[in-house]
Amino acid sequence: MTTLHVIAHSPFADNRLASCLRLLGIEDALLLCGDAVYALRPGSEPLRDLQAMNLEGRLFALKEDLQARAIDGGLAKAVDYPAFVELSLHHDKVNSWL
Amino acid sequence: MKFAIAVFSPPHAPSSRRALRFAEAALAGGHEISRLFFYQDGVHSASANVVAPQDELDVAARWRAFISEQGLDAVVCIAAALRRGVLDDEESRRYQRPAANLPAPWALSGLGQLHEAAQLADRLVCFGGD
Amino acid sequence: MARSLLIISRQAPWKGPSAREALDIALAGGAFDLPLGMLFLDDGVFQLQAEQQPAVLEQKNLAANLQALPMFGVDELFVCAHSLAARGLDLCHLALPAEPLDAPALRALIARFDEVITL
Repeated sequence: MTTLHVIAHSPFADNRLASCLRLLGIEDALLLCGDAVYALRPGSEPLRDLQAMNLEGRLFALKEDLQARAIDGGLAKAVDYPAFVELSLHHDKVNSWL
Repeated sequence: MKFAIAVFSPPHAPSSRRALRFAEAALAGGHEISRLFFYQDGVHSASANVVAPQDELDVAARWRAFISEQGLDAVVCIAAALRRGVLDDEESRRYQRPAANLPAPWALSGLGQLHEAAQLADRLVCFGGD
Repeated sequence: MARSLLIISRQAPWKGPSAREALDIALAGGAFDLPLGMLFLDDGVFQLQAEQQPAVLEQKNLAANLQALPMFGVDELFVCAHSLAARGLDLCHLALPAEPLDAPALRALIARFDEVITL
């Protein structure tokens, strides 16, 4: 069964992203929202970690959080709320890293 | 499809608003919300005593309006709420506290309601964080 | 058939109610006979360390509630081997028998459950 993992904490403040990447299955997807989108900052360490994971087509970021922080999604596909709802249904379950 | 949505963050956290926007989008997309469950600091999102500055979004008030308008089942965990000072009339009398801050449409109940919601829904989606 | 739920507990035990509130989800589900598993990850593994004395912090001990998990029907208990090693803990320090899992086993565990709550 596939999982949509959701992270909403800055990757510079704790180890949620690092732990999530260790547990991410090959068919799982990751949605970054809130301060987690700072992981997509060009030149940053977490972006290098994400790039090393081969997440093409499985990495998403909430569009409003990218826009608010002046971050270009780049590696991640930007999604709005209707797309977030559809993503949650496309996977068998949603695991939010609270 | 049926969603159970659980909120773990207070109304001033971005994730409480995010949960609200997700819930609105789910209904707009023709889906159903079988229950909203508020746990941990999420119980503050149900408080009627939150006073947001006039020029800021009042997320607690938006939750209240959304739940009333849509006629949703909105459960606040009683143990988490008591610990954080979120009380309905009955609990404020029981513990002899000076005020209640949890009027309808909210209902206080136990964690069994979270499990029941997860059993009955197609997806459980939890919200917390920044 | 009832949907299975994996609770991933990743909070240290004495920093506030969050570890206890994660455990309460498991105990409540166990009381309803639901198929539940619990995984201790990241700082959550500190909950399992033996011989802690939270009474000096005027806090209740979590250990009694953790040990009640099997009695509540929550007998699938797991711990992340990487989180243990990173924190200098090993299995003989643990107050509760939990099965250590490496990364591939953790991925298979998460895939197996119908729902996951990580807190």
